Amino acid sequence: MNLSDVLETTKKEPHCGMCKIDFLGTGVCPAGKKHGFVAYWPEGRMELARALAENEVEPTETLIDIVNSCNLCGICDRQCYFITQRRPTQAQQALKDYVKTLKPNTFKPIPEDEIVKDLRSIVGNDWATNDPIIIASYLRSIIKQKSSGNFYIVMPRSTEEIVAIVQLANKHKIPYLPRGNGTFFGVALQTLLAELCSIEQGIIIDLWRMKDIHVDPGSFTATIGPGITSFELQKAAHAHKLRANVAEAESCVCANAQNLGIVTTWSNTYGWGTDNFIDAEFIDSTGTIMHLSDKDIPNPYASAQGLLSLSLIPSVIVTQLTLKLHQILDDEEAIFIPFTNLSDALDMAHNLAKRNIGISLAVLSRKYLTEFISPTHEIAEDFNYIAEKYLKLNYIVDVICDKYHKKIIEELAEVTFGHSMIKSLILGSSKLASMKESSLLKMIAEEEDPLKAVFGGPMRKHFEKGLAASPHELVKVFDEDLRDFFEKLYSKPELTDPVWLHSFRILPCRMERKHMWMYRGGYMPGDKETILKVVDALEKPAEKYHIEGAFGFLSYLERGKLAHLEYDYYYDHADPDARKRLNKAIVESWRRQFAIKGVTPLEFICSKGLHRKEHILYPFPEGLSEEDLVHFEELIETLFGGEDAW
Amino acid sequence: MVKYLSEEWAAQAKKKVLDELDQTKDLKNMNASLLNVVQNVPPDQKTMYFYIRFVDGKLEELLASPDESIKQKNAEFTITGDYTTFVQISSGQMSSAMALLKNRVKMTGNKIKAFTITKPIDTFNMCIKKIETEY
Repeated sequence: MNLSDVLETTKKEPHCGMCKIDFLGTGVCPAGKKHGFVAYWPEGRMELARALAENEVEPTETLIDIVNSCNLCGICDRQCYFITQRRPTQAQQALKDYVKTLKPNTFKPIPEDEIVKDLRSIVGNDWATNDPIIIASYLRSIIKQKSSGNFYIVMPRSTEEIVAIVQLANKHKIPYLPRGNGTFFGVALQTLLAELCSIEQGIIIDLWRMKDIHVDPGSFTATIGPGITSFELQKAAHAHKLRANVAEAESCVCANAQNLGIVTTWSNTYGWGTDNFIDAEFIDSTGTIMHLSDKDIPNPYASAQGLLSLSLIPSVIVTQLTLKLHQILDDEEAIFIPFTNLSDALDMAHNLAKRNIGISLAVLSRKYLTEFISPTHEIAEDFNYIAEKYLKLNYIVDVICDKYHKKIIEELAEVTFGHSMIKSLILGSSKLASMKESSLLKMIAEEEDPLKAVFGGPMRKHFEKGLAASPHELVKVFDEDLRDFFEKLYSKPELTDPVWLHSFRILPCRMERKHMWMYRGGYMPGDKETILKVVDALEKPAEKYHIEGAFGFLSYLERGKLAHLEYDYYYDHADPDARKRLNKAIVESWRRQFAIKGVTPLEFICSKGLHRKEHILYPFPEGLSEEDLVHFEELIETLFGGEDAW
Repeated sequence: MVKYLSEEWAAQAKKKVLDELDQTKDLKNMNASLLNVVQNVPPDQKTMYFYIRFVDGKLEELLASPDESIKQKNAEFTITGDYTTFVQISSGQMSSAMALLKNRVKMTGNKIKAFTITKPIDTFNMCIKKIETEY
């Protein structure tokens, strides 16, 4: 197998980092676990295969070690196939075959320079490198593609080691940038934001080794290192019947807390930003260790509202975070309220938010529902088509609640469904997709209210029965050699348990199966009029620049006073023309969002630290005037060049 | 070739801006004063000050000096950063707005006003980068 044979796959690699967490109970890549550097993980091997195929890096002696460290055990295939339908072992096989074609003198030794020597003296010989092959695995997930600067990768184990690294960087006057799991970089680096959130040279501090975690059930807190992912924290919390309010499974909690403030479907009840963080240890740009609880620290996150607050790089490195955990109730269950129109879904969700009904509460789009629960993208597309055309199912108010709130919701909503139907949809999604032209669905579509007919009426039983839902049926769509594994996997109760799936969030990465995405949206007042204006402001640029755009999810915050909306643009990040159109759509969506009173686009709340929300979102900003919008254009041109440069 | 932040460099920079930039079209008739605090200037890692003041788009003052009495001019904006970063800005490798957003420089002053002058300041930097400079 040649590297070019897998180039289409490796070019579209989304850098989700799911291969670094044991979310399927398979264990993780043994070589990655041993060596740590991204190059030894499936994600990095794919990037390396791409960079070698596109002649962006030359083989060094380390390539042999990377290739030999993989025994093609297939763990990554199971993990990656579950999420993105990719088979990383194919890229690994291509790398093995490629290495065999090279003559021994092709592999260059890489001499140590002074900086890497100093880094090794801080963290040990195995955990710092200036080897271009390892550096290439960080391309597109913290280093811009085709960067020509001198880079170093270092993997510290302690706060003190990071202090020494920062001091070393300052001594040599080179920049540094911490990397958690690279999930934010993986998305942003494909867009015009790349320059803003990457470094052109310097030291990349990969925080993967800093995996300390301590749950204190007595005080309902967890204290974690910056290498801990959402999945790992949630697992540790669940062992004590507690829940953390965390983002997608693969994101590093400290980075996410610092970057976006962790806003989730649980945020109306559990809060977001400052509500969830008790203390943090962090290192400033001089290498000084500080704590949020120190009495005399300067406010490291002081920030003004406005366009010059677009900062995607954290000003400090968080090395330890103490978070609140929340009690899990014995009677929690999921309840879903289907809607045809967004306006109706918002009315219902806002009504619940104001009354604090539901522990997790969100408006979810058809796109998310179908993409998350379908085992393949093709099935998701068919499911999406069926939901829109026959079922008139476009939005869902998605609630996790106790039995008392469930009763209230069932009184308020005309039609609802729960665990049993979701399980049927997950396990029966391939059957549902095959029913695209069935008479049953056509019959449903002719009903006056198809949603009621399917989810609340007498047809519900026929519909569920028609899905013939079972793990055995579902896995028939998978590659043959993976079917046994997936049949066992889908037989586990948690894989079809919406409460577990909401807590552990292992499915959202499925939105990257076909194409890369770029999140849009942000924070806004919770009134419907504003939300609909923002949705329109995000839809229009997508239409104009022929980017697929779709509502993602909306969470209310602070009992419905505020809302957080994620709307996504989907595009092929391996296609330069698509990237250009995406960038134009991003800029136009900012312009349109900033013209709406009270709206702060997501990027403009980034990297403002932990103890924030009031000083960024309140008072609600006025929409930009015509004159301001002219300055906005100028700022964009100053930062990113003209349209041609995008 | 003139030494970066030397008196000769400052004189050439001022002349170039006055000769080549239009007060309205390029400099947007801005009224603003900026003090750049350039730290760790080689060879002896001293701090240098680089002050500019515009009135209605006209560059009234451009001074570069190690003398900290320049602070008494009470510039509206103070931008502090490392020598290497200012070299990147003055040589056109990075805009000052980008340096600010990447935490490479710190700024004090009214951010709302700063937002309105990012473009003319960038134009100013693009103009002075054409001076043959020894960094």
